[in-house]
Amino acid sequence: MTERNWHTHRDAKAARLNGASALLDGKFAKTEDVVKVLEALIKPGDKVVLEGDNQKQASFLSEALAKVDADKVHDLHMIMSSISRPEHLDIFDLGIATKMDFSYAGPQSTRVSQMIADKTMQVGDIHTYLELFGRLFIDLIPNVVLVAADKVDREGNLYTGFNTEETPTIVEAAAFHDGIVIVQANEIVDKVPRVDIPAGWVDVVIPADKPYQLEPLFTRDPQAISELQILMGMMAIRGIYEKHNVQTLNHGVGFNTSAIELLLPTYGEQLGLKGKICRNWELNPTPTLIPAIESGWVDSIHSFGGEVGMEKYIAARPDVFFVGKDGTMRSNRALGQVAGQYACDMFVGSTLQIDQWGNSSTVTHGRLSGFGGAPNMGSNPTGRRHSTAAWQSLKPADDPLAKGQKLVVQMVETFGSNKKPVFVDHLDAEEVRKEAKLANVPIMIYSEDTTHIVTEEGIAYLYKTDSMEERKAAIEAIAGVTPVGLRSNPEEVKKLRDKGIIALPEDLGVRRQDAKRSLLAAQTMDDLVEWSHGLYNPPAKFRSWS
Amino acid sequence: MKSLWLFPGQGSQKAGMLTNVDPNLKQNVENWTGVKLLDTSEGYSDSQQIQLSILLLQINEVDQLKKMGWQPDLVAGHSLGVFGAAYAAGVISKEDVFKLVSLRAKLMQSSYPEGYGMGVIVGLSRQEVAELVKQVHTEENPVYLSNQNSELQNTLSGELNAIKQVLELASKQGAAKAKLLHVPNPSHSPLMANVAEQLDYEIGKLHLSNPACIYLANNNGHPVKKVADVKYDLANNLTHPVFWETMINVALEYNPQVSIEFSPGNAFTKLLKVKTDQVSNITLSEMTIDDADFLLNKWKGK
Repeated sequence: MTERNWHTHRDAKAARLNGASALLDGKFAKTEDVVKVLEALIKPGDKVVLEGDNQKQASFLSEALAKVDADKVHDLHMIMSSISRPEHLDIFDLGIATKMDFSYAGPQSTRVSQMIADKTMQVGDIHTYLELFGRLFIDLIPNVVLVAADKVDREGNLYTGFNTEETPTIVEAAAFHDGIVIVQANEIVDKVPRVDIPAGWVDVVIPADKPYQLEPLFTRDPQAISELQILMGMMAIRGIYEKHNVQTLNHGVGFNTSAIELLLPTYGEQLGLKGKICRNWELNPTPTLIPAIESGWVDSIHSFGGEVGMEKYIAARPDVFFVGKDGTMRSNRALGQVAGQYACDMFVGSTLQIDQWGNSSTVTHGRLSGFGGAPNMGSNPTGRRHSTAAWQSLKPADDPLAKGQKLVVQMVETFGSNKKPVFVDHLDAEEVRKEAKLANVPIMIYSEDTTHIVTEEGIAYLYKTDSMEERKAAIEAIAGVTPVGLRSNPEEVKKLRDKGIIALPEDLGVRRQDAKRSLLAAQTMDDLVEWSHGLYNPPAKFRSWS
Repeated sequence: MKSLWLFPGQGSQKAGMLTNVDPNLKQNVENWTGVKLLDTSEGYSDSQQIQLSILLLQINEVDQLKKMGWQPDLVAGHSLGVFGAAYAAGVISKEDVFKLVSLRAKLMQSSYPEGYGMGVIVGLSRQEVAELVKQVHTEENPVYLSNQNSELQNTLSGELNAIKQVLELASKQGAAKAKLLHVPNPSHSPLMANVAEQLDYEIGKLHLSNPACIYLANNNGHPVKKVADVKYDLANNLTHPVFWETMINVALEYNPQVSIEFSPGNAFTKLLKVKTDQVSNITLSEMTIDDADFLLNKWKGK
């Protein structure tokens, strides 16, 4: 009997690297050889992770992958947390790749829809981030990963700096299961500022022709915050943050949450809430949080990724941010999502549509956008054990075995920027599921996980409802003059107010006339720079004054 | 610097718009088509005059820009605009494109002498308009949902009474605008199948090339790179809605830094500006070619 070979993967990897040895000097390849290197190391049908994160893109490697000969490299199964760049889809047009598993496709959502309809792209699934990262270690173990680093030393140690994001997670999945790790480097140096990923995990390093693409995705200009958003922010602070004593939280990326961040040092201070709410955050370094940090509201912030322009500010505030000895921030999307889902009491986000039952989605006709962090952080982790006042405050009183619940808050104006109702009977996502033949309706946050909805009309405390009928009535009561909202009547509203299931601004002691822009701690980008003592350096596209 | 070239269709033509067009090119067009271009208000009551003159204006501008060294990365034409777009992408020769459009206009003119046309509804979503169309459409009084100009601006094509009924329903449902357009054909609907068939036959005889850049197709809003797909669009776009909103959404996913709208008009630049402030815009009806060249040079580093 011949003995089974237990190291076929290792042998295959060695053979591939051997086949590319003419192009390699140790681990290093030449910039101009990148296409040849990929052709030598990637085989048809491979599972390939191409680093497209929320912010950082391995753009040199993705451009090169779109140039490989499709006769040599084809039918790849791509695994990407974010489909962000045109060439991420061009590889499907060219026949280099055929299948995609992903989380988020916002910047390419129209083409993704078209390619699914055309069968140019076969979709595995649309995942939450943690599902996708998790599957890299279970049934989507990659053959090759293509990632980006800021600096690489002569040994091959990687420095990923502020925007470490998911690079370590992707590399780990390949490095310990005989996958090939290919890195594009902004710069080759003698010594890296710190080692984010050790050289032993890295197979090939290629100096990039230009630095990787990095987008400032989480910068919100305070000038664009409306008074309606300020009103909703005031209601949320009183009716949710204060009421539930929320200490640990994550904010979405919209203007609603920016408004709240800018109201903490003013309105929050007036209410005497400093030190009582909003102390520990899982959040990208959003510039609109600078005034709250400077006023002493914030104890700690852990981040999924960096934010362009915040580097110097973060480096100067190591008590608050996670900063290495070298003085730059360490981010980590996988750990950030774990923290956001399990360790935070509250998620506050926004959406494009909410249906009559309270399900929400940002997927609309013709745009299969997938979702960012919201589905992880906007879901109640039922396995949670640790107790906090906020979590316990949602515990039903009548069940001896009951436990607390995560606060999942959706903040929306009743009509969207397209003047169409946000509250609808049925989500577009239901139709999109049929069009794209998906197994599940692409819902971002499920009704069962949604505990509060805030609109300019008031707050619905959905967790207090005890039937789907009552939940629907609570949603109708705050849905304004949308078709869903018009089903409500004053009698019903009164009943729900009396039961504390909905609260109007006056119930919360919030006066509509107080919701003025002057209440924001910073009203312009310039104000944010001033709050930061000149340490924040806004990206060019936000410098309207220069 | 990636650039998106936009080619409008009929609607913004006006007397005198050909004043600065290369006289040799104009002469050639008249020779190729046998149509004397009047460039007057009376002239522009005739569809063949309108279509040929707009195409002439656009091709004159394309030639000037290309002579200065500028090339598109993406082209998008609306209805008649597909011909300027296909020319700019190097798909079709100058002589062929004028002859083809001359024929197209003639076929369109004779297809529906009266009783048919188009309407526009602003303020309702495409799904909402589709529902209204379903209530009214019959085989005897057909009406179709046609162009998707923007998320909340869609057109109707068909029999005039049926269009009017849908417009009325739309007004009742709160549309901000619901009115008939001055278009004498049910363009961009299945009612134009006859014209498309003849165009398809004529196009079959021409030598066409693969586009040198991405061509955004009217009939499905897809980015295409193969000559067969462009050919289909040129022959058959009259029988399909123009999916302009989708075309532009796709174009923006390729991250263009500059848009150039060819003459006449500026409607598509306005629609684009509502969507994004990350694209620098040039409208050739509002500036000289030298101004455009100056701006393109200034933005080149982007």
